[in-house]
Amino acid sequence: MIDTLRASAFHARTAAVNRSNAWGTRNNVTLPTVYTNANDEALAARTRVALTDLGARWQLMLGGPRVIELLRTLLTRDVIALSPSNALKALWLADGGGVRGAAAVARFGKESFWLLSASPDVEWLGMAAAYFDVSVRDISAERCGLAIIGPYAGVTLEAAGVQSNLEPLAFRKVSWRGLEVLLSRFGEHGGYELWCAADDGVMVWDRIVRAGAAFGIEPVGTIAMDVLDIEAGIPRPHRDYVPAIDGSASEPSPGSLGLATLVDPEHSSFNGRKGFLATAKGETWRLAGVELDSDCAAPHTALIADGRVRGRTLSSSYSPSLRRAIALAQLEKLDRQGTRLSLTLPPSIDSTAICVVQATVADLPFLANPDSCAP
Amino acid sequence: MTTPQSCDALVIGGGVNGLTAAAYLARGGKRTLLVEARAAAGGLCETAPLSDGALGPMAAHAFYALDPRVLKELKLARHGLKFSVRDAPLSLLRGGADRLVLTRDVRASARSIATHSKSDAEAWPRYRNEMFALGRTMRALWWNANGKFVADGVVERIARTGAAAWLDSWFESDALKALLAFNASLLSPLESGSALLLLWRAAQEMCGLQAAVAFAAGGPGALVTALMKACEAAGVEIRTNAEVTELAIQGGRVVGARLSTGDGVTAPLVLSSLSRHTSLSQLANRAALGLAERRALNDKFPIAEAKIVLALDGLPEVRDTAGAFNGGLIFAERLESYVLAHADARAGRIPQEPIMEVTIPSIADPDLAPQGKHVASVLVRSVPREIPGGWSASKATFAAKALAQLDSRIPGLVNRVIAAEVLTPEDLSTRYHTEAEDLDVSRMLAPWPQRVQTPIENLFLCGADADVAPAISGRAGRIAATIAIGKH
Repeated sequence: MIDTLRASAFHARTAAVNRSNAWGTRNNVTLPTVYTNANDEALAARTRVALTDLGARWQLMLGGPRVIELLRTLLTRDVIALSPSNALKALWLADGGGVRGAAAVARFGKESFWLLSASPDVEWLGMAAAYFDVSVRDISAERCGLAIIGPYAGVTLEAAGVQSNLEPLAFRKVSWRGLEVLLSRFGEHGGYELWCAADDGVMVWDRIVRAGAAFGIEPVGTIAMDVLDIEAGIPRPHRDYVPAIDGSASEPSPGSLGLATLVDPEHSSFNGRKGFLATAKGETWRLAGVELDSDCAAPHTALIADGRVRGRTLSSSYSPSLRRAIALAQLEKLDRQGTRLSLTLPPSIDSTAICVVQATVADLPFLANPDSCAP
Repeated sequence: MTTPQSCDALVIGGGVNGLTAAAYLARGGKRTLLVEARAAAGGLCETAPLSDGALGPMAAHAFYALDPRVLKELKLARHGLKFSVRDAPLSLLRGGADRLVLTRDVRASARSIATHSKSDAEAWPRYRNEMFALGRTMRALWWNANGKFVADGVVERIARTGAAAWLDSWFESDALKALLAFNASLLSPLESGSALLLLWRAAQEMCGLQAAVAFAAGGPGALVTALMKACEAAGVEIRTNAEVTELAIQGGRVVGARLSTGDGVTAPLVLSSLSRHTSLSQLANRAALGLAERRALNDKFPIAEAKIVLALDGLPEVRDTAGAFNGGLIFAERLESYVLAHADARAGRIPQEPIMEVTIPSIADPDLAPQGKHVASVLVRSVPREIPGGWSASKATFAAKALAQLDSRIPGLVNRVIAAEVLTPEDLSTRYHTEAEDLDVSRMLAPWPQRVQTPIENLFLCGADADVAPAISGRAGRIAATIAIGKH
């Protein structure tokens, strides 16, 4: 099957403000990579308010009498105690404990849940749902979302006429001057998300942009969002790791990706539990950060100390907030904060010289969520 | 409520592998109970009366992979197992008088091959030597519980190659390729890795001879009789008419089973000779399995075998100078016949040209039929497991097609039939509680524990699904028992 690219519901607006005309695709959705300058956009999310298109999110509605049974089997955290209008974050694992995907799961009603993931796993979810006679509806194209992040996210919403008092990992329906929207707080970068019917997307965009103008709102592309991810220590599928494809795979393990906190070992019935517990015992890798003594990013590069490879970087970027290049890295467990490592920067278009730079192991996150300093 | 029977090890299924596993467990000091759903143990190794006192092999009819260690260690010869034919020739019968006979005598085989192709006759000794040598090397993996595949370029190439391509690379004559391809006909010869089945056959040993085919005196049931005696000597308790309806699982660990009689059995160790699908999907609670494991169990192998057993009032006048009728007679016109038969079976159709192996065991073992009479056993390969409208509606068509094929290859044989038993895949499945096993070539190079162990702790597979390739060997029973004892 050939996957067809599609435009996000906000495309008319994102195209109008995408001055660099730089586009990329995520999950077959065309999104701006940079509107004007990625560093400025990342700083806007930390100092003012930023707006980003969540059109690439994979959204499923799951429903049926056995939906709880399905989610208890599928997810690494137990949904049984999850009350309506609340959400949790969890992984789903292959039989051997390898990470296949990560999602926020929100409870709509007694027998209906909303699953949001950065990467689709249609075959696995479809198969699991079939075992439990659970209906699965992919609403990724019919519902769209905008994330409003940064210290002025709340006041921007208030200015737009949406009450912003909402606990993290919660959502509520909002009737907003004739539009039915959902306000949620699921994002790793703090802030809020507004979800609406795809047809209403442009109106929602316009209202938020208008309300945020006074606070310096800026649209943020995927590159700046990646910078925020790295700063916050969040690994993403297909960018930092390849999810387990084989149904019995034991890699990548949650521990090696720094995602073990999304697994509840007390939850006794999730798929891959045995494999997870077995791998967790002998885990040799951990997710860490490295700060480079350089401004040049070094993605997927070997990290060396004492003449031995100690790990590798995952995604890497220049951080405008830290004013140096940083990277997520998979390192041997013993390498602690402050350990000095070296790595070789790849040749670039303006320098064919091979450059060896030093780097320092840092604990994650490099920086907390952009709205942690909210006024 | 009755108190559940308690034992150290429970073996489910009294086929050759089940009996072998039970004997080894008991010899290993375990109080072993074997439960069999049918009235008698034996599974596919059944010798049953037809008419006029003739005895026919109802499912398996020849042995080519019996584990020599099982024969020796369980002292089956001492328990009465004898072979009426120890090294049966393999012959191809095609339309007309076209015939090819392969025997242990390489020169005689080459002479027979030379009537079809001189270059094939020259290649035959080299092919045989190479396959035999590779086969002996592979025994380290295929015959040992802790064997591991040592990377070998040739074997890896074979494991990626279809039998058709492999045979094409050696030979040119349709006859020789069609005859040899029968040994790989569990899969389509075009299927990647099906050549590995040729190597697997070359690795086997019967009666001390590599790649030999043997017939048990008294029919295949004689093996079961000997195994039963070995079990008795080892102290195995055997319960027949006791079908396991459910496995008892606690905390991901099997602790016993419930029987159709209503009784319960508690056992800290359970070995199942039933298929992986039946053991894990029907007897165990599916919730105990991983999602991928459940999905794998849903894949049903669409191709199976059928069986026709004929009582004959005599043999037709045939010229049999090479003693071909003492062995296996393969009916396949050419290599492509296998491909077409597989395609038909996969599509749920009875093949236009069924691939058949015929044996007439009563020639070497006159006790199987009254004086002057004979028994013919016909194994039909590559038939659909399920057929639109059900097998009962198509049974007569299938039998007519198979008998027509038989008559065209051995003229006059069908006129001699006085009784016939036709067993479709559905009949075999109902009669022997078996199902067509999925043959995954990649699993053939996996170490034994991967096939024997299950996601449920202390539940081990010891049947054909645990074996390298489905066959009456007893090896899966022996090795599963060894692994289970080692783990417990």
